[in-house]
Amino acid sequence: MSKLKYGRRIISNLIDIYKTSFKFRFGFTVIFLMCIMGFILPLFSPVNPRAWYSVPKEQPPSSRYLLGTTTMGRDVFWELCSSIGKSLTIAVITAMIASHIGLLIGLLAGIRGGLLDRFLMFLTDTFIIIPGFILLVVVVTVMKNFITIPLMGAIISIVSWPWPARQVRSMVLSLRERTFVYTARLSGMNTPKILIFELMPHLLGWHLVNFANTILFSIGTEGSLAIFGLSLLSDNTLGVMLYWAINYYALYRGLWWWISAPIATLVLIFISFYLVSIGLSEYLHRMVR
Amino acid sequence: MSLRTSKKDLIEYVVTRTIFYIATIFTSVTLIYVLFKFMPVDAVENIIFQLTSAVGGVYDPESVMELRRNLYEMFGLGGNPIESYILFLQRVFTFNFGPAFISFPTPAFQLVLSRLPWTIGLLLTSTIITWTLGNLLGLIAGYYQNRKFAKVLEAMAIIIYPIPYYVMALILILLFAFLIPIFPLGGGMSIIPEKITLDVILNIIWHSLLPALSLIIPGALGWSFISARTLAIETLSKDYTRYAWIRGLPSRHILRRYVLKNILVPQTTVLALSLGGVFSGAMLTEVIFAYPGVGMLAYRATFSGDLNTLMAVLILSIFAVATSVFLLDLLYPLIDPRIKHR
Repeated sequence: MSKLKYGRRIISNLIDIYKTSFKFRFGFTVIFLMCIMGFILPLFSPVNPRAWYSVPKEQPPSSRYLLGTTTMGRDVFWELCSSIGKSLTIAVITAMIASHIGLLIGLLAGIRGGLLDRFLMFLTDTFIIIPGFILLVVVVTVMKNFITIPLMGAIISIVSWPWPARQVRSMVLSLRERTFVYTARLSGMNTPKILIFELMPHLLGWHLVNFANTILFSIGTEGSLAIFGLSLLSDNTLGVMLYWAINYYALYRGLWWWISAPIATLVLIFISFYLVSIGLSEYLHRMVR
Repeated sequence: MSLRTSKKDLIEYVVTRTIFYIATIFTSVTLIYVLFKFMPVDAVENIIFQLTSAVGGVYDPESVMELRRNLYEMFGLGGNPIESYILFLQRVFTFNFGPAFISFPTPAFQLVLSRLPWTIGLLLTSTIITWTLGNLLGLIAGYYQNRKFAKVLEAMAIIIYPIPYYVMALILILLFAFLIPIFPLGGGMSIIPEKITLDVILNIIWHSLLPALSLIIPGALGWSFISARTLAIETLSKDYTRYAWIRGLPSRHILRRYVLKNILVPQTTVLALSLGGVFSGAMLTEVIFAYPGVGMLAYRATFSGDLNTLMAVLILSIFAVATSVFLLDLLYPLIDPRIKHR
């Protein structure tokens, strides 16, 4: 199978899921809109979303300030847009790193088996036992003044690869015993070829599911670190928005628009990514049967 | 081959599990050592900078030197790798994390222990309630999967499950302490008691209700509900359950004896893991509700760059999770007769 065909098949499968699954369609649409809000709208922003006191402070939502303004005199809507972009960037970096490390370790462990499998799974289980959030708190506290957006994504990946690794390994273990793998092996294919042409097409779907779940995990983790004051406080992310809103007691002072904007966005992002992930896995289950 | 396990098998099982337990703790501690060793920034100097520049405090140079030495040992930095590794291990396994700067000169370990009862009280109760409620609801929703209420529950679960618990906590505060002020905004209790009376206990419970709810709602309607429902549906499609139907057994009997029993096995693993997690706790819940537990302590420690206290929390929670997984492994064969002491 050539590279081109590979790509075309994936795209036609995705279109198929989009047509058949309402959950996937809904989630995908919301994510698409979020991406427009996060990456394209900030280009047209009339104010600098990072600058303080660029608009009158503590204004409730109106036609001029769509979602109101904050105590620091920032427009909530434009702050929100750039936050969505930054948060999604961090999440995609995490997913790029963590889900691929997971894929690699899961593949190695599943295919080679034996001692290597035991060693890798022992390592994975150990990482599962280490309480991820506290580990991240310690690591970020130490590196506080050096954090950048790509680094944040990389740090979160320290704790987000074990689950994908376990998932991929169990998939490989069950695939390894199927007849088509035996046929390929008996017809003289070597292991790397079997991996790429026989196993990967089946694993690709699960890889996408893991990818979506890692994005979810990463956005959630960045938010919780930010509440601890351990994120890019000089920049905009959804977590940082929450941090300022909580630290300026937005809630107790009746500035509900300030704190509910990031909360509502987070909830929407979580639900839509989760729907995409279950839409995908339901489709895959149907295919396997 | 007899079904009963011999004494020798049992001893062998316990011994291998114990070795595995010790190895896990050892490996995770080593991993943390390696992580700090290869960190691109100088952890110790960075922390000392944060501490000394915090409130413009003037530090006695001798105590800064002492602090520096203490931190270098804690993080296994400086000196030759083998020596520093041994020093690091010594610190970890004697729980000697040095003084806590947020409450100088109390040892960090003692400080964490003093906050434990609060966290354990809140999280143990809510974990157990979450687990029971979630499994019960999941079982019923799986059993009556075509009824309307089961579908409503499922739709709710899909919305609630992906929301992180701290976002749920914020939503609950917004609703029940701000819009409809029934619950207090935060804190562990409203008065500092002279002695423990019934009033004080009620006051503590009253203050922990909203934090507990913010943990129970996403848990019971999220993960444990979804997994219990899936497991119940799977069990219902098995041959032995169908046979029980054909035999004409009453549905309550099938629900209890066939479905519930099979759900309990995998769900117990989840319970053990989350009981282990009780220790490190829902840190953000405590922060959001200003609840005086380990999470709040870690929060304050983070703000003043008190790495000793953070390290104490981290290492203690590793021990807690590893121990609960170990105990579960030993108890598993009692729950599931199919698993033998192997």
